[in-house]
Amino acid sequence: MTVTTDSPAAEQTAAIGRVARVIGPVVDVEFAPDAMPDLNNALLLDIETDEGNRTITAEVALHVGDNIVRAISLKPTDGLRRGTRVRDTGAPISVPVGDVTKGRVWNVTGDCLNDDISKLTIEERWPIHRQAPAFDALEPKTQMLHTGIKVLDLLTPYVQGGKIGLFGGAGVGKTVLIQEMIYRIAHNFGGTSVFAGVGERTREGNDLIHEMIEAGVMKDTALVFGQMDEPPGTRLRVALSALTMAEYFRDVQNQDVLLFIDNIFRFTQAGSEVSTLLGRMPSAVGYQPNLADEMGLLQERITSTRGHSITSMQAIYVPADDYTDPAPATTFAHLDATTELSRDIASRGLYPAVDPLSSTSRILDPQFIGRDHYDTAIRVKQILQRNKELQDIIAILGVDELSEEDKIIVARARRIQQFLSQNTYMAEKFTNVPGSTVPLADTIESFRMICDGEVDHIAEQAFFNVGGMDMVMENWARIQKEG
Amino acid sequence: MGASLRELRQRRQSVMATKKITRAMELIASSRIVKAQQAAARALPFTRELNRAVSAVAEYSRLDHPLTNHHENPKRVAIFFITSDRGMNGAYSSNVIKAVSRFVQRLREEGKEPVRYVVGRKGIGYTQFRGLPVEASWEGFSDSPTYDDAIEIGDRLVADFLRPTEEGGVDEIWAVYTRMESMISQTARVRRVLPLEVVEGVKDIGDHDLVPEYWFEPDPETVLDRLLPVYVRSRIWFYLLQSAASQLASQQRAMKSATDNAQQLIERLTREANQARQAEITQEISEIVGGASALAEQE
Repeated sequence: MTVTTDSPAAEQTAAIGRVARVIGPVVDVEFAPDAMPDLNNALLLDIETDEGNRTITAEVALHVGDNIVRAISLKPTDGLRRGTRVRDTGAPISVPVGDVTKGRVWNVTGDCLNDDISKLTIEERWPIHRQAPAFDALEPKTQMLHTGIKVLDLLTPYVQGGKIGLFGGAGVGKTVLIQEMIYRIAHNFGGTSVFAGVGERTREGNDLIHEMIEAGVMKDTALVFGQMDEPPGTRLRVALSALTMAEYFRDVQNQDVLLFIDNIFRFTQAGSEVSTLLGRMPSAVGYQPNLADEMGLLQERITSTRGHSITSMQAIYVPADDYTDPAPATTFAHLDATTELSRDIASRGLYPAVDPLSSTSRILDPQFIGRDHYDTAIRVKQILQRNKELQDIIAILGVDELSEEDKIIVARARRIQQFLSQNTYMAEKFTNVPGSTVPLADTIESFRMICDGEVDHIAEQAFFNVGGMDMVMENWARIQKEG
Repeated sequence: MGASLRELRQRRQSVMATKKITRAMELIASSRIVKAQQAAARALPFTRELNRAVSAVAEYSRLDHPLTNHHENPKRVAIFFITSDRGMNGAYSSNVIKAVSRFVQRLREEGKEPVRYVVGRKGIGYTQFRGLPVEASWEGFSDSPTYDDAIEIGDRLVADFLRPTEEGGVDEIWAVYTRMESMISQTARVRRVLPLEVVEGVKDIGDHDLVPEYWFEPDPETVLDRLLPVYVRSRIWFYLLQSAASQLASQQRAMKSATDNAQQLIERLTREANQARQAEITQEISEIVGGASALAEQE
């Protein structure tokens, strides 16, 4: 895949071609031998139907020879005929950038969905294919991003300007957690946020827009959607469109940007569909042979350059809960912090259903987060790991066979597991419990108390779905009164 | 997928090994339990007769003897409890320990000081882990006690009972043991050993009833002195036998359910492993077929 950074080649007069073949979203177009469009150029196809005329955009993906280019359509190709006139725009797909994008909803080709585009003054458009920043321009600084969610702050501390992945199978709470993050971080953030909806439910996009308007963060947010009803070409490119907008804020306006992508797996999935449509030989598990390359091109652009950061949070669907599947496996390597959501924990009603043992972060290291935080996190993990090892014994022989030490470990592990759940703002409509934000120092101190056995006397259920240790104490007092 | 298949198989192997052990232990326990039950039954007639004799002496001699004397204000109370030496007995030991803790709490509320005498490593481990003081402990015979063990324990208890409280003696002796009700029901019981609690075989004496006349040779005091250690030993012996039988019954039941649990786990793991294997096969086939047909199209 060629990456073009040049500004649109306006000097080129639009070449005209004819549709030679249409197979679903794949369109073969014949051009004159001296006017072949470049790879990744956007082509415009005018479809005439009884209901009226439409123009759809396609992107050149292959030169197949005999003056024919193979293009992937970004819109459904219903009504397209052989011989239809095709215009080469002479440039890749471009999207509007700058302040005009804030507070509006866009699609992959840069059309505004919630506003009349003719009334907007679009000062600048950037092509969506761009080069990743050079190595020497990258940001070396590491600082923790505080979220106020205990399990995330303690076990998978997020990096400011880093890349964060939320892995999870179907229905364990990825989207809710992403929305929670938007609420928590975008709210107190002050900078600009960009949200990319890639191949997820249209309803969720709609909910998100309304929530953002309610929360008052819409004016600082650009939303780009290419949801699951769109053809694969759109789902493959919509993340790039959103990223391009984010890059403008970072590089030109020198801002700190939050980029939310839900869901990066759909990007890979779309790539696989396109790859098959182009006739490439499938690779492992039927994915595209250039899976790692495609992911790399996207991920390398999501990065912080000196002083200006893009903090990105990506939801990653894990097919069949199999983390060794190539799609999530390729994404892992690019991330600073990985939060894995587990079906086991979700099925026990503990939300956010973060798997404390497999989730981790690059900065879970005493030199970044301090000795106290690190030691507490490791002790929590040790207790949970030991508890996990004991589960087989408990399942076979029963809890009475454990030694006294192990019984205590199991009891503390159970309290930790309960305490890792938290009341969130997004879950208020399900639980009727308002969300809580726990300061990092409180989080560390509370977990240290559990590890040291200072709260062994408090019943497990007091730890369920709470914020800090003070809420545990309140619950405990209430339980004692009722009991 | 490949990794998870291997992992599942490994886990299944280890559960199968565990199942073998628990199955063997179940069989051993069920073969030994008959013997233990017989031993407990054999000890019963002697214990009963001895109880009657001691009760009779105590009732009809009207002596001021430590055996029968209730302490006005007991301060130090001995708790003698029997747990197992090894695990794999289900809740056997923890039931006893729970009964002991409840009893200790009761004593504390009454302002008495508990003094622990422990049989069995589980009980010793429990007290050590909690840092609780133990007056004396014995181990190594919880599932096959001998009368010598009973003598050793009994003599120690009697010696502490006879010593004055101020010198580290105890005013009362209580035993916590597990009574073998049947093969499926064993319950932890708390019984007082000394001073005598139950007066067996003595009827209320009415005005016109004939009072049985006892002659004690050489005198009641000597008889009681001789009877006291025998009585305590026999009680201990009875408790040890009952506990041993209960322990084996509990073990047999625990191991049976462990074997069943292991079997269930094996079945689940086998199913998961089979699924993982089939998924792997399906995936490989579809990849080969897909690759082959892609190649065929290109030609």
